[in-house]
Amino acid sequence: MRIRRTQRAAEGVAGYLFLLPFLLWLLIFFAYAFVRSVYFSFTDYNLFQPPVWTGLANYLALFREPLFLTALRNSLAFALVVTPAQTLLAFLLALVLNQKLRGILAFRSAYYMPSVTSSIVITLIFIWLYQRQGAINYLLTLGRAYGHLVLAGLALLVLFQLAQVLLERRRGLPAGWTDPVLGLSSLFLAVGAVAALVAAGVLPLARPADPVSIIWLNTTDRFPQGPISAPIPLIAIMLMNIWTTAPTFMLLYLAGLQDVPRELYEAAAVDGAKPWQQVVHITWPQLRPVTFLVLTLGLIGTLQMFDQVAIIGDQAPLQSTITLAYYVYHNAFPPGAIPRLGMASAAAVVLAVLTLCVVWLQRRVLRY
Amino acid sequence: MFRITHLPVRGVALMLAVAIVCASLLVAAVPGPAQAKERVVRVSGWGGTDIAIVEELIDRFVKPQVAKEGIVVKYEPVADEFSTYLMNSLSAGTAPDLFYVDIYWSHGVFASGAVEPLDSYLAKSRVLKARDIVPDLLKAFTLNGKIYGIPKDFNTLALFYNKDLFDAAHVPYPNANDNWNTLTEKLRKVTNKSKGIYGIALTPEFARFGAFAYAAGFKPFDAQGHTDLSQPAFADAFKWYTGLVREGIGVLPADLGQSWGGGAFATEKVACAVEGAWMLGFLRDQAPNLPYGVTLLPKNPKTGKRGNIIYTVSWSMNAASKDKDAAFRVLEALTSPEAQQWILERGLALPSRAKLANNPYFQKGTPEAQANKIVFAGASDGYVYPFSFGKYGGDWMTPINEALAAVMSGKATADQVLPDLTARLRQLTK
Repeated sequence: MRIRRTQRAAEGVAGYLFLLPFLLWLLIFFAYAFVRSVYFSFTDYNLFQPPVWTGLANYLALFREPLFLTALRNSLAFALVVTPAQTLLAFLLALVLNQKLRGILAFRSAYYMPSVTSSIVITLIFIWLYQRQGAINYLLTLGRAYGHLVLAGLALLVLFQLAQVLLERRRGLPAGWTDPVLGLSSLFLAVGAVAALVAAGVLPLARPADPVSIIWLNTTDRFPQGPISAPIPLIAIMLMNIWTTAPTFMLLYLAGLQDVPRELYEAAAVDGAKPWQQVVHITWPQLRPVTFLVLTLGLIGTLQMFDQVAIIGDQAPLQSTITLAYYVYHNAFPPGAIPRLGMASAAAVVLAVLTLCVVWLQRRVLRY
Repeated sequence: MFRITHLPVRGVALMLAVAIVCASLLVAAVPGPAQAKERVVRVSGWGGTDIAIVEELIDRFVKPQVAKEGIVVKYEPVADEFSTYLMNSLSAGTAPDLFYVDIYWSHGVFASGAVEPLDSYLAKSRVLKARDIVPDLLKAFTLNGKIYGIPKDFNTLALFYNKDLFDAAHVPYPNANDNWNTLTEKLRKVTNKSKGIYGIALTPEFARFGAFAYAAGFKPFDAQGHTDLSQPAFADAFKWYTGLVREGIGVLPADLGQSWGGGAFATEKVACAVEGAWMLGFLRDQAPNLPYGVTLLPKNPKTGKRGNIIYTVSWSMNAASKDKDAAFRVLEALTSPEAQQWILERGLALPSRAKLANNPYFQKGTPEAQANKIVFAGASDGYVYPFSFGKYGGDWMTPINEALAAVMSGKATADQVLPDLTARLRQLTK
């Protein structure tokens, strides 16, 4: 017995010894820094003169400052749009990439690329894409000129498919609405019909249209107009951010998909569940823990968005892109002026409390 | 859960844990390389094109001068966010002995008490006297009567024009006699909507607009340090500057897919741009075949004066430097007449020593020498203010820039934004 006890005690010591370096690191760089920040948030401090206690003055000043309120609105809008969008995109990507296809690994690597590329590099590339005569406006211009052909083709595709399925059924053959073989022939028919319509002059090849010249970054405009709107540069960052973070969460969903028992799908198939019913009633509920994790990480990440705003920098007006995390930095090192550490710390504390509240709310809603 | 049952394994695990902890503690305790007895002076500034220049400057003019006194110069450029780096290192006590201070953020650094006043050193020095330096530049680095930095060089704004576009439209080039009205007429004639040619590229920034506001007689701060934008001079300049764009004579660089006036000028779609000598290197690289000329900014028709903004950078000394005499010896060498002559002749920047104004370099006929001459002259012609807004820094300009952007992009009129703008600046500087 006694040997057992000393043995166990020694094991405990070994465990704590292993933990010690990380605990020290955590204590110095997180716990100590956090406590200091909270203290600074109640003081007037510029890095040079010793901090002067001012009580709640910084917090009161924050909520009176238009730039802070703008940052707060921008951060909330960013989190509310980006988190659901990237979660849904990640889920769909994972479903697609979970198929047993030849060369699926190559596709998985390709879709994962945006997440392993440095966000600095991606932001610089997007600054180019978003230019007035950049690739995104060019694609939109193409869409405006040739979009009617795509729309006509889609409409014809649906029509041909309907006609073919009805014909098959009249012959007494079982044909689903999304029968792939019929779909393929409908697609060829639709493409041919569009080509014929263009050749006959019924449809113009390209509609005359001015090139799209949306200003994505250097503008203070908002979209859509009305009470619920976001600055266009912020929307540009949202699109970029969804694109770069969705693949990371896709990886979590892919891992989760491996754990869904095969038998559930087999039983559902026996009961006659269609593929989309299997996704809605088996896959999605089974992935609930993963969704919880993805939403939590997504909310924390989006509320604390900093790097892409910082890199876009002078390319867009400050009030159109500023987020809370960037507001903290902007106050710690205001351009051309002396640091305002008190204000920066107060904003950082507000950001931390806000993040905690939002994640707590999300836990309550999902009840996990 | 697995349990360590065999003694040897447990022993190994314990030893490993102890070893890791010891190693992590050791790393922190290892002493740095032993301090040599030489007098080390650390010099720092921002990176970019400055690195090659300062390296050569130190090798050619500083090291030979100070080596015999046992002073070793260590150059430590910082690639990005230099002012952030400097604020941090000054407050943490790890700052270099000599460093750049940009006039734009100089006030906060000087007021912090972390920068050494240089008056007593200048009084003792045999080679560097306060009277050697262009007075307006030295004044810009003076706070409460004390000199906190020796300007290393400076820049002002000038009017760059594209000779081809003026020739094609049969319009005479802008010249030093132009005022706002005559220049507007010239620009109107050069503008050609069908070819997409604009008269002038104007950015919605006080950093350019300010020169015109000053020309009209606008004073950024009154004797009490308040800002009053209700001065008629400010509204006059605001309406003229934004009106050029609203009339279609001027264009925002952003509308040409460019981020600054120089970029717009290089597209050859605009006939004029308001920039400083930093344009020269840019045009040499980006538009080597663009035939350009440079002239002084136009005069305000009412005051008959020009305005301008001085952009300048100083060498300043760390108040916590261990060997201030050595640091000042290095500062003397960095700003010596020979060093400044070399910088000027290389066309790198304009010198801050007053005597170099009559340098033969300025008499050369090359466009670059001419441009430098105009930029040098701009510092002492009319109402000239340094690019500095005291303790307010960028916060002082932000409301003005926003108002300029709103009017120049057509979202509001000058009369709509000016009352609110006046109130915001009054609130900021109250």
